[in-house]
Amino acid sequence: MDFTIRAATLEDCKDISRMILELAEYEKASDQVKITQRDLEQDGFSKNPFFHGIIAEVPEHHKSREGHTKVGYSLYFYTYSSWKGRAVYMEDLYVMPEFRGKGIGKALMSKVSQLGLAAGCTQLNFTVLDWNKSSLDFYLKQGCWDVTSDLGYHCMRCEGDALEHLAQGDL
Amino acid sequence: MASFILRKAEPKDVSDILRLIKELAKFEEMEEQVVLTEKELLEDGFGDHPFYHCVVAEVPKDKQSVEGYTVVGFAMYYFTYDPWIGKLLYLEDFYVMKEFRGYGIGSEILKMLSETAVKTRCSGMHFIVAEWNTSSIEFYKRRGAADLSHEEGWHLYEIDKCNLLKMSSK
Repeated sequence: MDFTIRAATLEDCKDISRMILELAEYEKASDQVKITQRDLEQDGFSKNPFFHGIIAEVPEHHKSREGHTKVGYSLYFYTYSSWKGRAVYMEDLYVMPEFRGKGIGKALMSKVSQLGLAAGCTQLNFTVLDWNKSSLDFYLKQGCWDVTSDLGYHCMRCEGDALEHLAQGDL
Repeated sequence: MASFILRKAEPKDVSDILRLIKELAKFEEMEEQVVLTEKELLEDGFGDHPFYHCVVAEVPKDKQSVEGYTVVGFAMYYFTYDPWIGKLLYLEDFYVMKEFRGYGIGSEILKMLSETAVKTRCSGMHFIVAEWNTSSIEFYKRRGAADLSHEEGWHLYEIDKCNLLKMSSK
């Protein structure tokens, strides 16, 4: 199937927002999505963006059942490893179910790798849910390894009240 | 010992930052993994588009460490993005020299970082901890941190440069 991979623009935020919700539904967490299309426009397309996006698009005659031509995306940003320096973090990678198995996911990930390497990054990081077997299989085939299982590093989060208390110096 | 100050790192601090990065890595038994250089730290942290931000803890000269250091702690962080909740502050490294622990330096650094997170409208602060590092885990849990790997099943994955090159040419 014909498809193109390109940098996301402001106009893509409507579809990105739609697909973020689809991915959240797949991860059984759609009630946790608070970010709106407008937030994405401000946070991703202003002078100092907090993320970058790439879109997978198919021609009009291959559009989805509901009429969408933007059928996959990836959101990424640059991070820093105190051991190795510049790194790229792939926050989201998603292809609509009806367009899977055609190399689109691989092409999106390949694009993020190219962009990361061009920016001087020496590693790509991302997180996966431990029950997501089909994604795990896909990623392992690309040559990645599980830092949490292999080295025992756990992802931690401080948010909401905990963050406020910490800022105020409470214990 | 009371006196220490926290301040934004400056270019002159890169040598101390690298020293402290290596000390923390040694504690994690990962010292040989540190390939970062002072030159990279300088370019990447103090150019037009910094990849990271850093705060350092400094003591007066008369309180210097056994080897003569006055920069005795640091935190390296940057901003990330969660498409569900927005901006986050990611804490990459956080360390206080053993000699200077128990004086509240770590707590003050964390307080400063969370103030930064709140001021810049971040929804949270993320970081990773090694599961065997029970004293650090307790330190963080006391401050309300949740273990996402344990509670939600998130695993951190990495693809190294060699595999990135393979993937980018497919």
